[in-house]
Formats: sequence, C-alpha cells, structure tokens
Amino acid sequence: MPPFDKEFFATDRLDLAPHNLFDLVDRLDGLAPGFAAIAQPRVHFAVDGVLEADWSRDLATASEVIVLPRVGGG
Amino acid sequence: MSKIHVSTTLNGDAAEFLCDPSASLLDALRDELGLTGSKEGCGSGDCGACTVVLDGEMVCSCLVFAAEAEGGTIQTIEGVAESAVLHPVQQKFLEHGALQCGFCTPGFIVAAKALLDRNPDPTETEVRYWLAGNLCRCTGYDKIVRAVMDAAAELRQDRPSERTPA
Amino acid sequence: MNAPETMKQFRPKEFRHVGTRPVRPDGVDKVTGRALYGPDFKAPGMLWGAIVRSPHPHARIVSIDTKKAESLPGVKAVATGKDFPTLQSLVMHVGEGASDIVHVARNCLALDKVLYEGHAVAAVAATTPEIAREAAGLIAVEYEELPFVLGLEEALAEGAPLLHDDVFTKGVDPKPDKPSNASMRVEMGGGDVEGALAGAAVTVTGRYTMEPVHQGYIEPHACVASWGGDGQAQIWCSSQGHFAVRSLTASVLALPQADIRVMPLEIGGGFGGKTTIYLEPVAMILSKKSGRPVRLAMTREEVFRATGPAPGAVIDVRIGADADGTLVAADVEFKYHSGAYPAVDAGAGVASAIGHYKIANTRVVGTEVLCNRPAAKAYRAPGAPQVNFAVESAVDELAGKLGIDPLELRLKNAAVEGDPQTSGVPWGRIGWVECLEAAKAHPHWSAPLGPNQGRGLAGGYWGNYGGPSTVVVSLTEDGTFTVTTGSPDIGGSRAAMAIMAAETLGVPYEQVRCVIADTSSIGFSMVTGGSRTTFATGKAVVEAAREVKQVLCSRAAKMWNVAEDAVEWQDGEMVCTAGEKEGTRITVAQIAPRVAFMSGPVSCVAGINAAGWLPGFGLHICDTEVDTETGHVKIVRYTAIQDVGTAIHPDYVEGQIQGGAVQGIGWALNETYIYGENGKLDNPGFLDYRMPVASDLPMIDAVVVEVPNPDHPYGVKGVGEVPIVPPLAAVANAIHAATGKRLNSLPMSPDRVYAALHPEG
Repeated sequence: MPPFDKEFFATDRLDLAPHNLFDLVDRLDGLAPGFAAIAQPRVHFAVDGVLEADWSRDLATASEVIVLPRVGGG
Repeated sequence: MSKIHVSTTLNGDAAEFLCDPSASLLDALRDELGLTGSKEGCGSGDCGACTVVLDGEMVCSCLVFAAEAEGGTIQTIEGVAESAVLHPVQQKFLEHGALQCGFCTPGFIVAAKALLDRNPDPTETEVRYWLAGNLCRCTGYDKIVRAVMDAAAELRQDRPSERTPA
Repeated sequence: MNAPETMKQFRPKEFRHVGTRPVRPDGVDKVTGRALYGPDFKAPGMLWGAIVRSPHPHARIVSIDTKKAESLPGVKAVATGKDFPTLQSLVMHVGEGASDIVHVARNCLALDKVLYEGHAVAAVAATTPEIAREAAGLIAVEYEELPFVLGLEEALAEGAPLLHDDVFTKGVDPKPDKPSNASMRVEMGGGDVEGALAGAAVTVTGRYTMEPVHQGYIEPHACVASWGGDGQAQIWCSSQGHFAVRSLTASVLALPQADIRVMPLEIGGGFGGKTTIYLEPVAMILSKKSGRPVRLAMTREEVFRATGPAPGAVIDVRIGADADGTLVAADVEFKYHSGAYPAVDAGAGVASAIGHYKIANTRVVGTEVLCNRPAAKAYRAPGAPQVNFAVESAVDELAGKLGIDPLELRLKNAAVEGDPQTSGVPWGRIGWVECLEAAKAHPHWSAPLGPNQGRGLAGGYWGNYGGPSTVVVSLTEDGTFTVTTGSPDIGGSRAAMAIMAAETLGVPYEQVRCVIADTSSIGFSMVTGGSRTTFATGKAVVEAAREVKQVLCSRAAKMWNVAEDAVEWQDGEMVCTAGEKEGTRITVAQIAPRVAFMSGPVSCVAGINAAGWLPGFGLHICDTEVDTETGHVKIVRYTAIQDVGTAIHPDYVEGQIQGGAVQGIGWALNETYIYGENGKLDNPGFLDYRMPVASDLPMIDAVVVEVPNPDHPYGVKGVGEVPIVPPLAAVANAIHAATGKRLNSLPMSPDRVYAALHPEG
C-alpha cells in the first residue's frame, strides 16, 4: 500500500476484518493516528481487485483490500 | 489624460467610442463597444484570438491602437454571419466539430474567412500557413483545416446550403 | 486521412444516437462570438484589479507598504496575504489531487516568503485597469533575498536551500526528523529486480530528462467576485470545476460554502490547469473591502510565471528481457518537480510507468521535489507522459538490441484483462492488445518511407476516473427535456450528455438541451478532469433519464387506471401493453402539459458516485523527417489509435485524440520552460514558448477502437488524457529511426537534434 505503508504503518500487510471501508479507515487510524484525516483526499481502495468508490459497502465477503494513492487526473 | 474620440464603421454600422491613447483596438472592442467575441489570449500578437479585419487587412487587434481605427472599417467575429445566417466557415466549423473549448474559434473564423475572400481554392498547405498565426490548443488543427477546406469547396460551388440561423 | 468509420467490431449493440455527430448545442454561440468566457464577464459597478508579483525566486517578505497605492485617486482596495484568515493545515482533494489548503492560500497571496518569481504578494482594485496597474506599481515590497534552487538533483542535494521547514518526506520509513525538499516518495513493485536484470539476455539502461511545460490553454485565468454586506458572495469565472472553486475559496476564506455561489462561464481550455484557484479569494477580499464587484484577470505572462506547469523530470530506467523478447525486469526511478508546494504527480507516475506490460520483477519509485518554480499543477494525464517517454524509449531500444519488431515486442508483452498492475490490482476490460492489433493492420504501419524519414511508435495508458456527479433531467411543459449538470463543458460534453439522454429517452437529439448550472442551482459534481465527465456525469444523465421514463409511465398508468407494469416506454411514448387499454399510447408531448394536473412536475435528480471506470490505452505511430543541415524535425505522418470504450460523439472523441497527440508533439519537439541563472523565467510568452501551429503538422489520423466498458450503460471509458501519453516517445523513436540517434532530453529542438547529428560540433 505505498506510500502509506512507510508513511503510516511500517508494514505493507495487515490482517483486519472491517465491516466496511469507513470501519477500515477507523481501524487504520487507530493503528496510525492521522491516517483518517488524509484518507479521503489521498486514498483509493481496491476491494478484491476492483476499485471501490462506496465506502459503506459491506465487506463481509471480501478477502483483500489494497490501499492505493488516489489519482484524480487533469 | 484626456480620451480620444474615434469614429469607425463596425460590422457595417457607424460606431463611435472614447479611448485612452494607450488602449488597443481589442480593448476598445471588448470594453468600450461590448463586443467580447474577439479574445485576448496573449496581448502580444502571438495567438491570433483577437483577429479582426481592419480596412480589408487581417490584423491582431491587440497590436493596433484603438485610435488608429479612426475613419476605418472594422469587421469582427460578430459581423461574420450575414442576414442572420451563418457564414459557410462558421457552418463547417460546427459540422466538423472543429472547436472544442471554442476560445480560439472567433479568431480562426475571421482569419479563415479572410483567406477564402482572397483565395477561393487554397491547398491544405496554404490553409495551414495562413492559419499559422492562430493558436489552438485543443484540436490539433486537423478538423479546423478540414472545415476551412470544406467551406472553400462550398463557396466555390456557391450552392445554397441549409445553413444554421445565427 | 481519418478513419472513415469508427471501428465497431467490438461493439455489442447498435444505437440510435450514440456514435452520431450532431452539432453541439453550444456551437452557434461559439462560432459567432456570443459565448461568454472567463475574461468576458462584467458586473455593473465593477472594479478592475491588478496583482503585484515577486521579482525574486526565493525571498523573505520584510514589509509591504501600500500607503502610496491606497492614496492614488480611483484606488478602492488593497489586499495582502495578511487579509486571509489564519488557517489550519487541511488536506483537501479537489479534482487533480490532494492539496493543503494553507498552501492553496499562500499560492494565491504569499504571506512570509515568496517561493518563485511571479508569486503573488499583493493586489489592488481600482476604477480603471490603468489605475489598477499604476497602483500595483506603487506598492513597495521589501524583500530579503534567499538562495534559490531550480534543479531536481540540486534541490535534493545536502545543503540545498529549503523551501518549507515544515515539509518532511512522506512515504519513507522511518519518518524523517529533518525537513526536506523531497515532499513525497512512492515505491511500488515486487519480485527480484536485481536478480532478474542480472540474468536477462539483454538489458538497456538510460537516463531521460525534461524541464517543466505549460498546459497552454489560450484563455488566461479571470474572475469577477462580488461579496455582499450580508456575507453572501457571487463569483463568475471559468474553471474545470466551479464546485472546486467554491470549496477552495470557502476554505481559504473560512466561509460557509452555501454563502458562495459560483457561476460557470465558458472555459477556454484547461487541460488540468484550471482545477484549482489563483484569483478568486483575492478578488473576494478586494470586493469585501471596496463593497463593489472586482475583476481580476491574468496576462499571458502571469499565466506562464504563476500557473501550471507540469513537472519536469529526471528518470532512470533499466529494463531486461530474455532472448525471445519476454520482459523480465524493469527498474524505474523518477524525480518530478513539484515546484513551490507539495504536488501529487508521483503516485500517478508510478501507476502509469510500466503497467501496460507483463513483467514479473518490477520496482518503480517516484519522488516529488520542491523547488523555486511555480507550483506544479495537473496537465492531461498528470505524471504519465514523462515516465512513459523514458519507458517507451527504453522498450524501443530493447527491441533494436533484440532484433525484434517494436510492435511485436509490445504485443508479446502486452498486459490483458486479469494481469496485475504495478499496484497488484488486476486490469479490468482493457483494450491495449486491440490497439496494438489495430496498429498492425493500419496502412500507416507498412507504408514506405522517404529519405531522412523514420517511423516510431509508442504506447501508453491512463487510469481515468469516475466519482461524484449530480444531474437533473426535467420534462418541460411541451414535452422537450432539459438536462442540467454541474460539469463544465470543456470540449463538447453538452453534446455527449444530450446524446446519452436522447438515446435513453428514445427522443430526437434536438428535443434534449443540456446546460451547466451554478453551484447553488444543482448538487455537487467533481471537476471536469480525469477524463471522467462523459463516463461519470454521463452515467448520472442515464440514471436520471431512466427515472423520468419510470415516473412518466406510472403517471400514464394512473391516468389510464391500469397497473403500473402494464405501461411501457417505447421511443418517447408510453404504451399500454396489457388489459382492456392495451395498445393505447400517449406521446411525451401529449402528457407533458398534463403532469401539472397530476401529482406535479416531472424532474428527476441523480446524485451518484460513479464507479466502474476503466483505463484507456493508446498506440501512436509517428513518421518524422529530419533535416540534417538544421536539426529541424518535421512530423510527416501521425496516427493515434485509442480504445475509448464507446465514442458517444465521435467528432469530439477524435478531437480529443488529435489535440492530445499535438500537445504531446509540442512537448516532444519545442515546448519547455527556460530559466535564467537568476532564477527568472526567460520565455513567458507564446513567441518563445513555442506551441505547435497549423503549419507544423500533418493531419492527425485518429483511429477509434471500441472495447466497451461493461460498467457504463453505453460503454464509455474516458478519452481526453490518454492521447498525450505516447507522443513523446513516439516522436523520439521516430527520430531514432530516421537518424540512428536517441535523444533522451526533451524538447528535441533543432539545436539538440543538430548536436546529436554533428557531435564534432
């Protein structure tokens, strides 16, 4: 999850079971305070290989979330 | 500093305005006469967005002092469509999608009309060199050149086309 | 010639309006000079503003004396950075990437330090532009000059002048304890790069460089702000996103967003550079102080000195392949200028570097570097063209060493759906192989070349985007429709929206008119950027139009006293399909005047967060002719092939491809920021910043490949950004093919080409 692995978590793999992406952000913020503040402007999540725009989606059946730098474009 | 009184013929009608001695014709058109179709992209004669025809000559109106227009005849983009019908160059720009943002479009249309007024059958190379003083950043010029060539062909045939009301 | 027809072989269904080329709804206004752009708007009683800018690349502001300016007759207000409220650091994502609102404010008006030549330090408003300019000249700013740094490696060197003492490199572990000009480092990849390179049959190594370039929109930035005594304000400006103007201006001025109403004027080009603010909060302060509307407008010189540009770069590439051409390893490390404030192109650059190839062992590292230049801003596929130039040049060199046709080498290694990107996320339904196959089949690829001519090709991609958009589709009283969006139309998108609505409603294109509403007249939409508008706002148009159909069918059912599912929408008519009223029909025009006598007017809003966007891929073929006496490079033939998903209005799709290709050609051959030893920009005008003109170019053959996006109702992927990615390397590879010389520094201007051809001098 570069650059957030080095910037926040000192690892690029974490085992968590969030119920949705808001919950994931809260848990990641618990591990590395400050992450929640930058998550909305700087982060994209891919859930099982697909970029997910809806952070409220239920993750009960998801197995992997990849944390990516958000790219907007020109 | 007192203003200069200028009398001109603008798009066929008498027009008078007051201007500072340092004002450009473009400033006068846009700020005194309210004709904002001519655009300022650079103010240095490099982009052609302010192209008008003054006494039959195509000029960058940002490089002409407003006071120089005294007694002159000016044609701007606002006067290109005649009798409430688009000129073929305007029509072909629409049909070919030869504009994207449209900011450079008035300058291109005035310049292209000036070309076709004196050369009814230009080659692609002639079109490209004539329009080389007009910058477009959106289109890559392809559709602009095609539109001008097509307008030339239509004008040569002088066929009554179904033109869009202006 | 252009491809006569779009390539439809991948399209599953035929449409009535999608894929046609009607005249755009805003067309007549734009060919007659009536359309109002940023600099065209005037408000009654308006004052004219002027901005005072720093003559130094790096300096401390000791004092600003505005007394003389204020006492000049006709001057109504003066503003400095001290007029902004005290702001806390807050990172916001507004279109092109994340920015700290404190940096946005400081870039509008410097507070303690100026960070580049042209940095705004003060502003005045007066009754005429002449008085405003004179007053600006009377503002006395005392500076304490500081050492400055412009170059990427110089800015990273030990002891380099530091731009910010509160910027610590992000993306490194452990967290640095000293501030740095490296604002961010992004690293991705996996596998054993060094081992695979050591074991590769063939490797290439290269360093590629370029200076910043400007977006080059012809319309300079301009706005009018009017801030009333009750705290509510109106701003008229052109931008790629008036909601972004609202949120940034509100944040800089600590105002509620609902108190600011931003009216979108027509925009004269943006290319990413109009996704931020420069003038609006300054005009607001001047308006508040003077009690009158205030216009601020930039000159071309101000645009060059203080807006944009896209970052320059230093890029190191190593790529290795097996003897059969299989790419086995890639190591890419680049540094990008971020200019005066932290920027965000490194992440996109990393994501856009080598993902178009299947390579088992990769390492891609990008670093953002602060330096005393204007703050870098998004420019069409921001961060992608620079690194693509290096990678696609290196792949071309590799093909030469391997003795494999460069198109075949790309086909052999091309990523397909399901292959992992550099981030590990798998590609969706991409059309990269389809573009390569289309290139192979195109007559250009096998056409004979003349003397001193060479042919090059390059491929590239951009991720595109979706995100939030709001659309309202309303039925008028006579049965025609209005489509209202919050997405500025920068290249014909109103036509695309009307086409999609007409397609969905089954009514003629001319019966649907699309307008762009101000920030108080419709819900939020993200900027027109990221190639997102036809995809995301288009998706909202279709959703709202579908709801209109549903509502009207249920109204007809009620009117006929039949079950709702007994009424179907057929080509703009409601038809009863069951029961005793079967076969009864009513047209939209017939029901429209009756809806006010039912439960009320029909107007459906779709506020969506569009997901399911897909990247676009392109492959460009370029023929150059090199004048060995002068070093001048002429583009003699150019073909740009791109998968767009579905072309809603092919004229504007081709136009995007042609325009993007030509911007790339300009970047490759002519365009560059030139700074003097004194840290000042030497070419802040169109004469010396040489963008392509019509006589520089041939026709640009835009070949539209359509591999539809399954997650858009009509298959749209997004078009605008991809075509600027491949040209830099396509031109370089063509020059190499023509001359045997590989130019690794942009632009490949005549002096550099001449020097490469005549190394003896």
